[in-house]
Amino acid sequence: MENTIIRVKELTKTYRVPVRAEGLGASLKSLFKPTYSEVSAVQAISFEIPQGEMVGLIGPNGAGKTTTLKMLAGLLHPTSGQVSVAGYEPWQRQPQYLRRISMVMGNKSQMLWDIPPLDSFRVLGEIYSVPKKEFERNLEELVQLLEMKELLTKPVRNLSLGERMKCELTASLLHRPSVLFLDEPTLGLDVSMQLRLRRFLADYNRSSGTTVILTSHYMADVMALCPRVILIHHGKILHDGELGTLARRMMPFKILRITLKQESMADNELPELPDGVEVLEAESNNLNLRVPRDEAAAITAKLLETLNVADLTIEDPSIEAVIDQVYTDGGQ
Amino acid sequence: MTRGIFTPSRGGWALIRSTWLSWMQYRSFFFILAFGWMIPPLIYLLVWSTAAGEGSISGMTRGAFVAYYLILILVNQITYAQTNWTVGDLIRYGQINKVLLRPIPPLYDALASEFAGKVVYLVFVVPILVILAFVLKLELDLTLLNALAFIPALIFAWALRFFWGYWLALLAFWATRADALLALQDSLVFLLAGQVAPIALLPGALKTLAVILPFRYMVAFPVEVITGQLTRPEMLTGFAIQVGWMAAAVILYALLWRYGLKRYSAVGG
Repeated sequence: MENTIIRVKELTKTYRVPVRAEGLGASLKSLFKPTYSEVSAVQAISFEIPQGEMVGLIGPNGAGKTTTLKMLAGLLHPTSGQVSVAGYEPWQRQPQYLRRISMVMGNKSQMLWDIPPLDSFRVLGEIYSVPKKEFERNLEELVQLLEMKELLTKPVRNLSLGERMKCELTASLLHRPSVLFLDEPTLGLDVSMQLRLRRFLADYNRSSGTTVILTSHYMADVMALCPRVILIHHGKILHDGELGTLARRMMPFKILRITLKQESMADNELPELPDGVEVLEAESNNLNLRVPRDEAAAITAKLLETLNVADLTIEDPSIEAVIDQVYTDGGQ
Repeated sequence: MTRGIFTPSRGGWALIRSTWLSWMQYRSFFFILAFGWMIPPLIYLLVWSTAAGEGSISGMTRGAFVAYYLILILVNQITYAQTNWTVGDLIRYGQINKVLLRPIPPLYDALASEFAGKVVYLVFVVPILVILAFVLKLELDLTLLNALAFIPALIFAWALRFFWGYWLALLAFWATRADALLALQDSLVFLLAGQVAPIALLPGALKTLAVILPFRYMVAFPVEVITGQLTRPEMLTGFAIQVGWMAAAVILYALLWRYGLKRYSAVGG
């Protein structure tokens, strides 16, 4: 790929988890004679991401998403495999590399709790050696995009979760990183705050050309933001491409929602249905059916003939349903 | 990653400033902490100065005990590395990730809290000490040489105590409750660093132990230097041992940090 900024090749991470008992004695003993068990978190995954793309990393809890992200950000050493981000090997943690990336963890804050965000921002500006003028410009832009002027001078501990996440995003973008890693940025936020952050991320990605990798358990985040998703399960990549393709591949079904005319369901009995149709729900005069994608048209035609239909819609299964199926049976 | 630790940096100063700002929010909490640290030496001050009465013990008069303990309180405040207590938590709860993602050496965070803390404490402690010096009638025969020698002795004492505690705290990379060792260090400092009694008054074997081990050089040594308790050769030997232990502490810190980080990034905290 041209202008590829992230290259991951055969990346593997096997954790050696120390097994140790509590207490100082046991701790001291484990200093000299540690025991380990091995956990395979990521198994030989490979992908490439071009500059400016926004990619969703999805998968159930414990699938290896955060481990992958941490290796890309240089917090973890891989067991084997290669990674190059912006030309650097992340885990060398060279200052030049760290200045080009940023990582936001939904459950960890980089703001100082007791002082207003503005002070924390200035410190970060100094830590990342952002020139004064550039700093002011970046800050103003971010504050405007996130509509957070009034938050700048309140102590962080007085801010709500959503307001704090706005601060986290500003803090992580002040030095204009080329690559942004977002680990569950919308965790615990209310719906309207999620929407606003999503809109911000989309705008920012478009205007700045920052490459973004995002993990989230909210499918809405991923659907709204990421044209491309990488689905990880048990440390392996199950899907790399559009979310829609994933749905078609994983769930070759359509959902038919049928509303029957009142009188036809008077006896409360299910009507005769063609082969291959599965009833998901049947309540009073409403029917939800699952039909094979290829036969959806034929079956619909047949149903319109045989049933007394008031209304009929054909839908793709919800992405949540797709994901649920993948997460529960590993996409088998 | 130890490269360039001591080079001045914009980021480092900014960290100190912000830590200081956030600590000023808790002035009263830190004043109470500082007050707590003053109490044990104050008690021993009263015990020994009462015991000395109108005479002297091993050549130390009542006024000399006052000078010794008041300066000890100051040195203890300046050298106490409370940051060490938070390093373990940082590692255990994975908060260290945020420090590792920054393009400056992680030691800056600890140094920032150190400097910020000292300022907050000293604002509280110095006036109290000055008042006590007048009330209790401090007697100090200050020579220029002793005063000058006090400055490096104090700086080395701080560095030794800081890095010694830091390497102990870094054991958190391997053991869950490594900070128990910090508590042990505090006890040894209390016994062997001139708090219970000036080293000169300790019984034979204990005195030898105090002179050999690093703890005396964290607190008592600078106090002995400025109060003129040491002969020229004793002072020189003292400096040699102090610098030796300090170098050992810095090396241990650097090694443990390197291997600890390697392990951390292998295990993931």
